[in-house]
Amino acid sequence: MRYTKLISIMAPLLVSLAGCGGGGDNSGSPPPPPPPVAITKAEAFQFLNQTTFGATEPEAQRVINMRYEAWIDDQLRKVPSLQLPHLQSLAAPGVMPFQLQADRVDIWFRNALHGDDQLRQRVAFALSEIFVVSHIGSSLNNQPWSLGSYYDTLAQHAFGNFRDLMEAVTLHPAMGVYLSMLGNEKPNPALNIRPDENYARELMQLFSIGLVELDIDGSVRTDDQGAPIPTYDQSIIEGFAHVFTGWTYADAPSFRLARPTYTNQVQPMQLYPEFHDSGEKILLNGTVLPAGQTGQQDLTGALDNIFEHDNVGPFIAIRLIQRLTASNPSPGYVERVARVFNDNGAGVRGDLGAVVKAILMDVEARPAMHMEIDGKVKEPLLRLTQLWRAYDAQSSSGRYPLLASYIFFGQGPLQSPSVFNFFSPFYAPPGEIRDNSLVAPELAIATEYQNTLVTNYFFYQAFALNHTSGTLEEDDVFINFQQEMDTASDTDALIDMVAGKLLGGEISGTLRTEISGMLARVPDADAAIRAAETIYLIATSPEFAYQR
Amino acid sequence: MSKFTRRQFLQSSSAAALFAATPGLAYSQVVGGGGPFSDYRALVCLFMFGGNDSFNMLVPTSDAEYAAYQNSRQNLSIAQQDLLPINPVTGAENISLGLHPSMGALKSLVDSGQAAFIANVGPLVQPTTLAQYQSKAVALPPQLFSHNDQQDQWHSLKGNNVSKTGWAGRMADLIRTNVTDQQMATNASLFGTNLFQSADETIAYVMGPQGPVQFEGFSTDPESILYEQRQAFRRIVDAQYDSIYERGFADVQKRAIDAADTVSAAIDSAPILNTAFPQGQLGTQLQTVARLIAVHGDLQMKRQVFFVAAGGFDSHDDQNDNQPGLLGNISDCVGAFQSAMVELGLAQNVTLFTQSDFGRTLTSNGDGTDHAWGGHQFVVGGNVAGNNVFGNYPVPEIGGPEDVGGGRFIPSTSADQYAATLARWFGIEDADLDVVAPNLSNFATRDLGFMIG
Repeated sequence: MRYTKLISIMAPLLVSLAGCGGGGDNSGSPPPPPPPVAITKAEAFQFLNQTTFGATEPEAQRVINMRYEAWIDDQLRKVPSLQLPHLQSLAAPGVMPFQLQADRVDIWFRNALHGDDQLRQRVAFALSEIFVVSHIGSSLNNQPWSLGSYYDTLAQHAFGNFRDLMEAVTLHPAMGVYLSMLGNEKPNPALNIRPDENYARELMQLFSIGLVELDIDGSVRTDDQGAPIPTYDQSIIEGFAHVFTGWTYADAPSFRLARPTYTNQVQPMQLYPEFHDSGEKILLNGTVLPAGQTGQQDLTGALDNIFEHDNVGPFIAIRLIQRLTASNPSPGYVERVARVFNDNGAGVRGDLGAVVKAILMDVEARPAMHMEIDGKVKEPLLRLTQLWRAYDAQSSSGRYPLLASYIFFGQGPLQSPSVFNFFSPFYAPPGEIRDNSLVAPELAIATEYQNTLVTNYFFYQAFALNHTSGTLEEDDVFINFQQEMDTASDTDALIDMVAGKLLGGEISGTLRTEISGMLARVPDADAAIRAAETIYLIATSPEFAYQR
Repeated sequence: MSKFTRRQFLQSSSAAALFAATPGLAYSQVVGGGGPFSDYRALVCLFMFGGNDSFNMLVPTSDAEYAAYQNSRQNLSIAQQDLLPINPVTGAENISLGLHPSMGALKSLVDSGQAAFIANVGPLVQPTTLAQYQSKAVALPPQLFSHNDQQDQWHSLKGNNVSKTGWAGRMADLIRTNVTDQQMATNASLFGTNLFQSADETIAYVMGPQGPVQFEGFSTDPESILYEQRQAFRRIVDAQYDSIYERGFADVQKRAIDAADTVSAAIDSAPILNTAFPQGQLGTQLQTVARLIAVHGDLQMKRQVFFVAAGGFDSHDDQNDNQPGLLGNISDCVGAFQSAMVELGLAQNVTLFTQSDFGRTLTSNGDGTDHAWGGHQFVVGGNVAGNNVFGNYPVPEIGGPEDVGGGRFIPSTSADQYAATLARWFGIEDADLDVVAPNLSNFATRDLGFMIG
């Protein structure tokens, strides 16, 4: 399997070598570069499903016209669509602020569906699945503004520097609450109290370096016994736990009386020096922070210490590649992206904009030949947003308050069941994927149960929540398939139209045959049912669930 | 060879090495399995995600030991007079014990002999002393104190080996030729995919907390166009696909279609239980399990393992506020479940047991506890040797002989021994217990004795 992968990576190289015409002739001027090969609609769809909340035909045409790199560069300049200003424009719901969680989900969908900063929003969503906070099972349920502000922080840093992102996340009170750094105190040996290790541990394990040492291509380093080499031990966790003491909500009457307010839940946490441990701290790679530093000095030193660790490049490369383009990147792909993380070409480490661009422009994300392990399973929430973008989904209220997203789809914005995200990056379902030592993280939540809920949601979306329905509530999100209805009596044209919008025009023979068979049973006069049937069978198909 | 029994062979180190090297190779695959099971037995794994602070679940009440606990735990300790006293017959001869005040239902199960505790149990490769831990003289489960790694340990019992299967999955593989008439998979989860039930030969079925959901727009009536819809959908997922991801997705859809009708029909015919279950996720899951157990005959089930779970146990902060609700819910839900089993007349056929990521630190971080290692678990059922404490209950004291630092306790009983005891009751032959629990041969006791019958 790795061999076929290699061929796919080398194919463009082989083509370009063959084009050199004989070789060895370096005397004349270089031949003019060949005109770029036109991007096909299917290729544009593949690109947009990696970079947006769902490919659409108009955006595919823009990609074909602009080409990939210019499209990316344009997106890198877009200002972020934000959530907090919207939430703050709404009336505060008094003693039940969790009511605003539906509005937070609403503004997430608005930005995901309609924001012109699609790539930034998509990367922010990826980051929200790495630097996880959630309103599920957390007191953050009562702090919707804090969560909105946290998501905005991810969006604002999506193309910035990873070191800045780490510090912004570390000091955000949403993360402070979620992983209990907020209110973490220096030790009190008389009472057997030692610092909270929660944030120290997960910052390293899940957000930056992981548990075991990695080579730059992401492969696990082993000792002479063949065992993976741990990146840290308990003493280092305790070192970082001592670093992260003394921080809580800003402008509190006192450290221990700090409580969330409208204002402090969206401000960085503040240092209360008397609650910061002033002792020496042992960190990664033998680094020792001396005793007597301020809390800010310790924080800076500790985050620098993690940021400089060799693992960060490959670790973040794998995580972002898995969210955007591929479940099983080759070592070469990981290394190429990790090298850009380590140095963006201008000597800067941690340039996330450059990393994102490297992920998307890599030959493995833009293959000339497609291999069976390329790509990934679409996240179920992204199947929904793709359908909604393709069919101009809206509600009569203009809102998308799908708070139950995590129930229907197994995931929703900042709705993970724990800091371990909706699924593990290492999840391998039984069968050929696991047997070949491959992974398919998204399949962890594609259970019989969850898949049926998603299938049923699409059933209702197609047949009941559409523009012809007469019984919609004001917040019901409906799709518009008038264009399909106008073509509905022509079976082939109808299938072509839906396949064009959802699959970039590439539909399997089986799927076409089965849709045709069903449409043969539906009278021409039932145009809405014919359109709904076609959309339903395509939106629930394995080929729509697959991101090339 | 005549004097060298099969059992001796399988307990020998060479056999252990063989099985360690080939975790997918089940003994009964080599020799051929036995006949169909005549009776019905079910295991219910209740997993407490996040790491249950079991040092506050089972607490000493005798003065000297309570004082040690109180001195170690400080502001996180439960008041001595609030603990619910229990009187175990064995395992607590020199100490008296009580339960967290929110666990009245569990106390009733203990008092009536339907529940037992296994003290300070956790993942181990081999018996481990503090000195051996400190000098790195013995192999240890990797990534101690990490949530997902230690969940994986409880699920897989892989120790320091690489394993892609769980011990319930291996049990299902071992007995698969004995349960060929079963209408659903031996393993069923009501809480998503998990390593515990992952196997080489069999696939766990994942349903919702209320059981399977039916596909909308499908009919089994051949006259209906919705029957055609179902057939078309089925042919689409049955098609050949080029990508491993399409195939992986389609495989789930196939299983969902196959199981939805049979299991849903069976569960719909289940008797209405008089036992009331608590509201909420865990109560709902256990009620569904009870209903499925009630119709095991209709589905021709002989052996089942159910996976249910509750979250929220990662009590780094606000522990005193949250723990009563967490433990109270566990207690109430388990109490209801056991009542339902008694009501169905199946108490002797069903055993519920707990697992959790790890125990937590005996020391406080101010308002909570952090990740540790050994902890207490409990088992409930009509075949449990109830009102006992198995294993060695350690005095919860900082700096004791099990404390690796901060009140993180080395387990004195291994998760392998715990699992093997349950597996034997489930019907796994002694020789195959080493397949279920790969590190079992490193421990002197293969059966902790908490199961009878």
